[in-house]
Amino acid sequence: MKDYLVRVTENKKVAEDLYELTFAPKVGKFEQMKCGQFLQLQIPGLLLRRPFCLYKFDSDSITVAYAVVGKGTEKMVKLKKGDEFKVTLPLGNGWTLQDKHKKVVLLGGGVGCAPLAYVPITYPDREYFSFLGFADKSKVAFESEMSKKCKLTVVTTDNGSYGEKGFPTQALEKRLREIQPDVILVCGPRPMLKAAARLALAYGISAYASTEERMGCGVGACLVCACAVKQADGSVAMKRACADGPIFKLEDLVL
Amino acid sequence: MNTAVKIAGVQFKNPIITASGTFGFGQEYDKFYDISALGGICTKGVTREPRKGNAAPRIAETPSGMLNSVGLQNPGVDVFVKEDMPFLEKKDIVTIVNIAGSCEDDYIYVAEKASETKAQMIEMNISCPNVKAGGMAFGIYPDSVKNITAKVKKVCKKPLIVKLSPNVADIATNALAAQDGGADAVSLINTVTGMAINRFTRKPILANVTGGLSGPCVKPIALRMVNEVYRRVQIPIIGLGGIMSAADVIEFMIAGATAVQVGSANIFDPMAAFNIVNELTKEMECCKISNVNDIIGSLILS
Repeated sequence: MKDYLVRVTENKKVAEDLYELTFAPKVGKFEQMKCGQFLQLQIPGLLLRRPFCLYKFDSDSITVAYAVVGKGTEKMVKLKKGDEFKVTLPLGNGWTLQDKHKKVVLLGGGVGCAPLAYVPITYPDREYFSFLGFADKSKVAFESEMSKKCKLTVVTTDNGSYGEKGFPTQALEKRLREIQPDVILVCGPRPMLKAAARLALAYGISAYASTEERMGCGVGACLVCACAVKQADGSVAMKRACADGPIFKLEDLVL
Repeated sequence: MNTAVKIAGVQFKNPIITASGTFGFGQEYDKFYDISALGGICTKGVTREPRKGNAAPRIAETPSGMLNSVGLQNPGVDVFVKEDMPFLEKKDIVTIVNIAGSCEDDYIYVAEKASETKAQMIEMNISCPNVKAGGMAFGIYPDSVKNITAKVKKVCKKPLIVKLSPNVADIATNALAAQDGGADAVSLINTVTGMAINRFTRKPILANVTGGLSGPCVKPIALRMVNEVYRRVQIPIIGLGGIMSAADVIEFMIAGATAVQVGSANIFDPMAAFNIVNELTKEMECCKISNVNDIIGSLILS
């Protein structure tokens, strides 16, 4: 974990209200990051940093994807090449694939598809099947990036304006018996996590989800990003999304 | 140049202490820098029993500040003593255990337990705005401030700091009450009760509806209150509220603080407290100060 001063190398729009921000360290190189880990980005003019999952990494350059959803991300849109800010990384546990996880389903919703795109880089020797859901055609992204790394890439839109009509969980369920995945990795809005949890339970497939909570420090100290997680003894504990997560076993999350 | 200060016989190598609830039990920030560089650490508030805290969302950014409603989530004093205290004992830093509770017996129990540790001081939180029972209830009326302070002081084997709420009629009266109850020092201010609203959903942003406001936006309130208290009490004051820089530290000391606590700044930037310590001597030089003790309460009013 380290605090870096970075400068923007690119900030581009990739779909409606969806951007990719790329930045480089002012000095030295970034520490290695793995899929599912995140960073805390300081937005000029705001006090609280904002957490973003890793989309693309090398030691000289990091890219995060962001949806414009509020005051922070509205300010991020205005970042220009050469602008400087601070970033703390690497944060969080990230996804860990076990040796038995040969066939991996990547299930993403909206900007939540971005962190999944880095899984095949961290774990190259697996078979990947991706299911990416978006509200409509104007918001579709990450498809070409995913199809480079996955045996199958299915895009869904809620209104059917692009790809299959419906939710990515529905598209996945249709093909579950055929694919027979060993594990499902999920990142998306809460209703999608709920639908994915039902699927994982019904088909007996283990699943790991990336949680999203409003964060404070991002390093595990302030206890702001608490989420309810079931424990082995059946009790529910408040875990820190930033330091104990953001990845948790999907069935353990109280959604 | 001297940066060392003394409060109730406890020596701090510099006047910078991290504020309760913003620094955990120190382990997280020790990954960024050796926390022994700091004057002191005030731990996350510990209670008799483990507490789960409030529902999420627990944080919202507001103009020049933030609201939080964590609600004293902590593992309980027994787990703290066993699992977290050993780390702090190894550090060259003044450890202040922040204690909280829902009733008198809770405070007494936790104070006794904390007294058995190697911590140098105890800070009693009677000003948390985010818990329903106890917490701030003990800190509103001067009589109850004096009463709980006296009861805890009786069992407390370390110097006792009473942390005061700004959400009261007159904070200086409450500081006097703490002094009368036997407090060795007071710390102020805890957070200012506030609210944030989402106009689209017409709902509060925090699940707890209200939360505690902190950050640079409360600094002028805190400075005013530190000075009001300084003019009324004899015991030392630890000042806090929106400290972001060494310049802020000096201003709080001029207002009357012997030491300060850095809170939200740690949340905004993991290096904040460390950077403030490193900037302090440079800032002292700029202000022509050779000994920080010389400026305590040196505010010129004429």
